Amino acid sequence: MTEMDRRQFLVAAGGLAAVSLFPSELPAAPILIEPLKLGLVGGGRQGRAILAELAKIEGIKVAAVCDNDATRLSGVKSRAGDAEGFEDHRAMLDKVKDLSGVIIATPTHAHKAIALDAVSAGRHVYCEAPLAHTIEDAKAIATAAAGAKTVFAVGHEGRSNPVYQLARSFFRTDAFKDMVMMRAQCNQKTTWRVGSPDPAREKVLNWRLDRELSTGLMGEIGSHQLDVVHWYRNRHPVSVRATGGIRLHTDGREIADTVLAEFAFEDGARFIYSTTLASSYEGKYEVFEGSNSSIRLAWSHAWMFKEADAPTQGWEVYANKQQIYNEAGITLIAGATQLAEQGKLKEGVGLPNSSLYYALADFVKCITEKKPAVCSAADGYRTAVVAILANQAVAKGGEIKIDESMLKVG
Amino acid sequence: MPIPPDLPVTPVTPVTPVTLAVSAMGTRFELVLLGDDERRLRAVGEEAIEEIRHWHDRLSWFDRGSFVSHLNARAWPGPVTCDPEFFALLELCREVWAASGGAFDPTVAALMRASGFRDQAREEDAIARARAVTGFDKVELDARARTARFAGPGVGIELGAVGKGWAIDRAARILREGGISGALLHGGTSSVMGLGACPGAEGWPVKLGVKPGDPTVVLRDVSLGVSAGAGRAVEDASGVHGHVLDPRTGRSADGVGLAAVVGESCALADAWSTAVLVEQARPQGMPPGLTSLIGPGEDGAGPWRIDGPHAATLIRS
Repeated sequence: MTEMDRRQFLVAAGGLAAVSLFPSELPAAPILIEPLKLGLVGGGRQGRAILAELAKIEGIKVAAVCDNDATRLSGVKSRAGDAEGFEDHRAMLDKVKDLSGVIIATPTHAHKAIALDAVSAGRHVYCEAPLAHTIEDAKAIATAAAGAKTVFAVGHEGRSNPVYQLARSFFRTDAFKDMVMMRAQCNQKTTWRVGSPDPAREKVLNWRLDRELSTGLMGEIGSHQLDVVHWYRNRHPVSVRATGGIRLHTDGREIADTVLAEFAFEDGARFIYSTTLASSYEGKYEVFEGSNSSIRLAWSHAWMFKEADAPTQGWEVYANKQQIYNEAGITLIAGATQLAEQGKLKEGVGLPNSSLYYALADFVKCITEKKPAVCSAADGYRTAVVAILANQAVAKGGEIKIDESMLKVG
Repeated sequence: MPIPPDLPVTPVTPVTPVTLAVSAMGTRFELVLLGDDERRLRAVGEEAIEEIRHWHDRLSWFDRGSFVSHLNARAWPGPVTCDPEFFALLELCREVWAASGGAFDPTVAALMRASGFRDQAREEDAIARARAVTGFDKVELDARARTARFAGPGVGIELGAVGKGWAIDRAARILREGGISGALLHGGTSSVMGLGACPGAEGWPVKLGVKPGDPTVVLRDVSLGVSAGAGRAVEDASGVHGHVLDPRTGRSADGVGLAAVVGESCALADAWSTAVLVEQARPQGMPPGLTSLIGPGEDGAGPWRIDGPHAATLIRS
C-alpha cells in the first residue's frame, strides 16, 4: 500500500467506525441548448446567494429582477447585469413574456401572491422555503401548483443534496436498520436583524422578528431540517412539543432566539430539534441513530458510524474514514470515484457546491427535461404545516397534535 | 479632494464600539463600529460580515464550489460568462497588472506552486513550465459579452493579493448605506479601511512596523494595503527563496521588507502594495492618487520612502 493509499484509507482507532458517504458520481450540471431566462423576485441575502449560484450554471440568463425595496432592487440589479428591474412582480410577468421561470426569494409572507400569479401566468416556479407563513397560504399555493402543468419546486435543498441522497440510500437498508432516535440542530450567532437608517424601512425588513409575519426559528431555519426528516422517513410527526425563549438578544424582540422541540411519530420514534441565534457551537447537522449504524449529515459532509456488531458489507473496508470526536466515521463522499482517480480524496471530502446550487440545478433540469420537481409544492406544504405548528407550540409552550388531515393538500 | 493637514479631531463620546469578526480568506476580518444605536450597528455590521463571507465563498482558490474554481476549470477553452461584479474585479486586476508592468499578476499561482509554496517541492523544470502559463495577458476579457477566457491550458487565477481589499470595499459600502460613518475594517491587519475617525483622534491611526521611526498612517475615509517580504521561504541547493515572487522572472524578490499603499479603494491599495513590494520601488504606472510607502529592506537598513498625495496629510513619522 502506498503512502497516499494508507492516508486515504486510514482507520482511526477506538469507538464506532464512522464511514463518510459520498456518491460515486456527482450530478452533472444541466446542459442547455437555448439560454433559459429566469426572473428573480427578492433581492435580499437569499436572492444574492441564488444569483451567485446561478452564475455557475452555464446557459442561465437572469433576465429580470424584482424587489419592492428600492435599495435592494438597485443592489440586485447591479449584481445581475443587464437584467430588467421591477418593483412589482406583476409588471415583471406582464412585460417579460419569455421568462421561463420565476425564483421567489422574498419574505415568506409575500410568497403566496407571487407564486399564484406566476403559476397563473404559466411560469415554472422555484419558491424558497418555508412555502408560506400560514397554513392557509401554503394550501393555496400547493393547490394552485397541483393544477399547473409547469414545474413548481420548493427550496428544501436537502432533497437535491447528493450526499444526502447517498446517505438516504443507506438509511433505507439494513446498513442502518432500526430507527432509534433522530436529532438535529442549527446554531448560529447572529441577531437576525437588518439595519437601516430609515425606521419605517427597518421595520419592513425585519419581518422575521414580527410575530404576525414570521414563522420563527422553527419555520425559517428548522423547516429545512424537518423536511430532511420527512423525506428520509416518508412520514410526518403526529405531535410536537416545544419551548423557546430569548437567551441573548434582549433587544425588545418577541420572537424566541433559542428553541427546543420534540416531534413524535406514530411508530414511537422521536425527533429532537434545537436551534439558537445565541451560539454557533457545532453549527448545523442532523443525526439519525440506527441499530446497525448512525448517520450524521452536515450539508456539505456526511458520515456513517457503524456499530461494532453490525454485519460487514465489504465496501466500507476501503472507504475514507475520519475521526469525529472519539468516533471514527466513514465519510460519505459525492464524486468519490472521480476524486480517487484524481488523487484528491485526501484534499477534502466535502461537496464541491452548496445545497442551494444543486437545488437550483435540479429546478433547471426539471424544466428542460420536463420532470416533476425534486421537492414538490405538496412536499413543501406538508413541511410548512409541521413547521408552522411547531412555531405555534414554541409560542404556546406546550404540545400540539398534528392531524393527518391537516397534511392533505386537496 | 485632499484632506487638510490639520484634521478635525472627533470629540470623545461615551460610546462602546461594537466589534464583529469573521474568519475568511485564510485570516480574521474584524469590524469596529461606532455610533449610538448598538442594535443597528450590530445589524448593519452583520450584513457587512455576510458580504465578506460571500466574497470568501466566491474567491476561494481551494474551494471547488467558488467562482474562481469554476473559472479556473472552464476558462480554457472557455469562455466563461461572469456576473458584473466578478467581471469588474477581473478588469481591476487587468488594470493594475498592465499599469504595474506585470509586477502584480493574479496568474502567479502556478509559479507559487512550482516554487515550493503550495503542496509540492520546488523544482526548476516545474518553474519553467509555470512561467509559460503566467501572465495576465493570457486572460482574455470580453467586456461586451462579459466573458473571461484563458489563452491555453494550465492558466489559472488566484485573487489572494486583491480579494481581502475587494471584500472590505464592499463591506464598507454596506456600512455607509446603513448609516454608519465611523468604523475600522481590516482583513488580517494587511487590508485596512478607516471610515470617519475614532473618538479623540483625527482618524484611525495605524502604525506600520514596530520600530520608533516607523510611520503611522491616519486612515480617514481611506484604505491601506500592506505587503511584507517576511514569511515563508524555501531552501534548496540553489539557496534560500523568499515567498515574494516576481511573476515576470519567476525569481524571488530578495531583500524585500515591507510595502504599503494608501488610497480610496482598499482593493487597489491591496493590489498595488504587492506590485510595490515586487518592484521595491514605486512603479511608474502607479496612479497619482495613491501613496506608496516602502520600508527598509530585510536588514532593517535605510529610510522609509514615501511618495504620493497622502504623504503630507495622513502620514505621521
